[in-house]
Order: sequence, then C-alpha cells, then structure tokens
Amino acid sequence: MSSPRRGAWAAPIETFGATAMQVAREAGGIAILAGRVARCLVPPSMDGRELVRNMYRMGNRSVPIVALTTFFVGGIMVIQAGMYVKQFNAAGLVGWGAGYAIFREIGPVLIALMFSGRVGSNNTAELGTMTVTEQLDGLRALAIDPIRYLIVPRVVAMMVMLFILTVVGDLVAIVGGALFSRLLLGLEYSTFYYSLIDNLNWTDFVHGLVKSAVFGLSIALTSCYFGVSVRGGATGVGRAVNAAVVAAAVSIMLLDFFLTYLLP
Amino acid sequence: MSARERIERVGAAALDALAAGGQLARTFGATWRGVFRGQRPAGEVANQMYVVGNKSLLFIAVTLGFIGMVMVYQSCLQLERITGDLSQVGPEFLKLLVQDFGPTITALMLATRVGAGIAAEIGSMVVTEQVDALRMSGVTPIDYLIAPRFIACVVMGGVLTVFGVAIAFLAGGLTAWSSFDLNPRLFFDPSRVRFFDLALGLIKTASYAMAVPVISGFCGLRARGSSEGVGAATTAAVIGSSLAVIVLNFVISGAGLILVGRDP
Repeated sequence: MSSPRRGAWAAPIETFGATAMQVAREAGGIAILAGRVARCLVPPSMDGRELVRNMYRMGNRSVPIVALTTFFVGGIMVIQAGMYVKQFNAAGLVGWGAGYAIFREIGPVLIALMFSGRVGSNNTAELGTMTVTEQLDGLRALAIDPIRYLIVPRVVAMMVMLFILTVVGDLVAIVGGALFSRLLLGLEYSTFYYSLIDNLNWTDFVHGLVKSAVFGLSIALTSCYFGVSVRGGATGVGRAVNAAVVAAAVSIMLLDFFLTYLLP
Repeated sequence: MSARERIERVGAAALDALAAGGQLARTFGATWRGVFRGQRPAGEVANQMYVVGNKSLLFIAVTLGFIGMVMVYQSCLQLERITGDLSQVGPEFLKLLVQDFGPTITALMLATRVGAGIAAEIGSMVVTEQVDALRMSGVTPIDYLIAPRFIACVVMGGVLTVFGVAIAFLAGGLTAWSSFDLNPRLFFDPSRVRFFDLALGLIKTASYAMAVPVISGFCGLRARGSSEGVGAATTAAVIGSSLAVIVLNFVISGAGLILVGRDP
C-alpha cells in the first residue's frame, strides 16, 4: 500500500483520508437505508403490531427519563436567567427567556440526545445482537423482508415518539422552570406565566417540534444502520452502539443548525 | 395487576436504585484509591488520553461549533426583534459559555462518545471473561481498567472544554458577523467574564469529568450475558452519565446562584 519513500507528512493525510472514506461510507449506507425505508412507506405497508410494540417500548418507557431530565433543565434555565435578574432587576423576562430557550433549542436538542442515548443505542444493540446471531438471515430465509418487518416500524415509532416526548418534555421543563423560579428567585407563578404567554407565540413551540421530528428520523436511521451493519460478536455490538450514538449526536447538531436557518 | 403488586414493584425498583447508588459510590471511592495506590499497565494513562482526547477533537469541534452558531443566531434573532441592540451578545455569550454551556455540552458529548466507549470496551471484556482473568491474576479491575480512564478523562475533559468553548465562541462570532453584520470587535470581548464564572465553569468541568468515567466503567463492569448485555451496559452508561451531567449542572448552578445572591 505505502510507497517505500514516504515522508513524515504522509501519516496525517492517510488518517484524514481514511476518516473521510469512513464517513462517506456511513453516510452512503444511511442514505441507502433511508431510500429503502421510504420505498416501504409509499404506500405504507408495515407490521402494525410491531409498530405499536415499538411505540410503547420507545415512547411510554422513556417518559420518566425525559421528564426527569427536562425538569432539571427547566431549573437550570431559570438559574441562568436568575443571574441576570439579580444584575438587571428584570424579573419579568425570566419566563420569556426560559421559554424561548427551551422551546426552540434546549428542549428539542436535549430530549433528542437523551432519546438517542436510551432508545437509539438500545435499538442498535438489539438489531446488532440479531445481526451477529444471524437472526436477520433467518428472517430472509423465511422470505420476510427485514427492512419492512424490523426497520420501518422502528423508524416510524421513533419519529412519532420523539415528537410526542418533546411536547411532554417542553411542558415539564416549563413547569420545572416555574417551580424553581418560585423557589430560588421568589417569583410568582403568574409573573412567570404572563412573561411566557405575552412574549412567545405558537411558532416558537412548533419550531422546536419540527426539529424534534427530524431528529427522530435521523436517530432512527443512524441507529438502525449501525445495528444491521455490526460485525464480530459482543465487541462489535459495543463498538456499533458507540458509533451510533456518536453519529446521532453529530447529526442532531448539524440538523439543528440547518433547521434553525430554514425554519421561521 | 393488583395494588399490592404495583407497590411491591415500586419498592423493588427503589431498592435496586438504592443498591446501585451505594455500589456506584463504592466504585467512586475505589477509583480514587486506584488512582493513588493501584497498579496499572505502563503507558495506559497516555494511551487512554489519546483515545479520550485526541480522538474526540473532531467530534467536539463539529458539535460545539454548530451549537455555538445556532445559539448566537437564535439570540440575535430574538434580540433584534425586541431591543435591536446586539452589542452585548458577544460578551454575554462568552460568559454563559464559560460558566455553563461550554462545560455542560462538552460533557454531554463526552458522555456520548467516551462514556459509551468505556462501557462497550469494559463490558465486552466482562462478557468474554477477561475481567475474571484479571481478578484471577490478583489485579483489581477498577485499578486496572477504570483508574487510567478516570485520570485521562479528568485531564482531557478540561482540555476539551477549553477547546470546545474556543470553537463555539469563534463559530458564534463568525455567525454574528456574517448573518447580522455585527462587528467582531464588539463580539470578541472577554471583559464580562468574572472570576466567579471561570471558577464555576472549572468546578463543573472537573465534576463532570469525574462522573462520566466512573458511571460508564461501573455500567461496563455490571454487563452480563453476551452481546445483548454489552449493548444494555452501553445504553445504561450513556443515559446514566448524561443524567449525571444534567443533575450536577443543576446542583452546582443552584449553589452558585445562592452564593452570588448573598455576595453580589
């Protein structure tokens, strides 16, 4: 592979090239998977029971962790706003500041990161285990399309459930924020509420929800891709889960950036 | 399910959580002991530093860079609508970045990448009985496996946080300059950062960097079964360390707010 007379500069370039090839291979694999999933969705044909089971597992079972996280996040936002309240004596802006940050940015991104940690990595581990124990080949041998049977219900379930969890999480975060602004800053609930209602409108809330649906799709596709492309036993599954959460985090941040520009 | 069963289930879950918390605290203590007195393979700390630090640089640069751009864009958008004065965005953003968002988001990314990596690696060592082999040769797995990762995370967590703050601030400044025609001289102004903000940021960085490897290593050591167990351990590590980061952030920020409240 390497020529005998290569300089010291060759190693970083090789690393860079290998990384670029790896990223391109993964992005291509995810795109092909997305295409296959889309073909199964027009007209929609999937295993309904599998869809409901996945929605329950991914959505309902994630409510406690999402609620716990967002409750504290609401508190953190109020604490951050509180530093300014003391400085500028601007108690009327706490609800607005916390609500704006939670609805548009922090809520969708953090809930998506937690969702990717819990559901995405779980999904990769499950699909990865099925892959290394050759259960996917088993399905194919029975003439069951693994994409239609396993992947499509998961993708749909994750998109829908992350959207719903973001609605729940946003509201819990606001409740947490109101509670902690009362406890830590001595602010009345009504001040918080009117500050929120007067300064924000529906577009702020919807902005975050559109983001969360897109994040759900990207988490689903990355976690399924890394799950079905596992090689090599238990070590391979661990490595795949790691790669999947990293890819999901990067794609969440990238998509967040582009959606912020595109959406009103 | 009868009411009695439900209560039993809640009680069992609470007892499990309590037991796990106790074991986690013991692991934390054992890790500190391992750092000072344990034996570990020569060069392992440097090796882990490379894995934790150098290999995360690109990941941190991409995620923190994009989140910096998004945050500046969103706050400029909102401020332009309400006050129209953007001159304070840069200094306030840097202050917020130093005392809260920089350490926290870097740590969340670290929990995703490094935490999942540690759990996957140690978990697959457990299920392939390599950890039992270590125990048989009279080595404590915590000294040998967790302590070097702990040292590496504490050192490299600080380095990566500084790097992440710099990248996010730079990306934010470029966004403000290109999208809102804000003079970079007005943006790149560190005068608003007080010693208190720096101290708070450093305390947060240190506590996150200690929490992530211990929780992830603990989850890895608890892995049972085969590839399924490794996947479950990795999931638990990502969720546990992300949640720990958010709760620690809440506690430290709250303590900071109360301290500032007393001494303005």
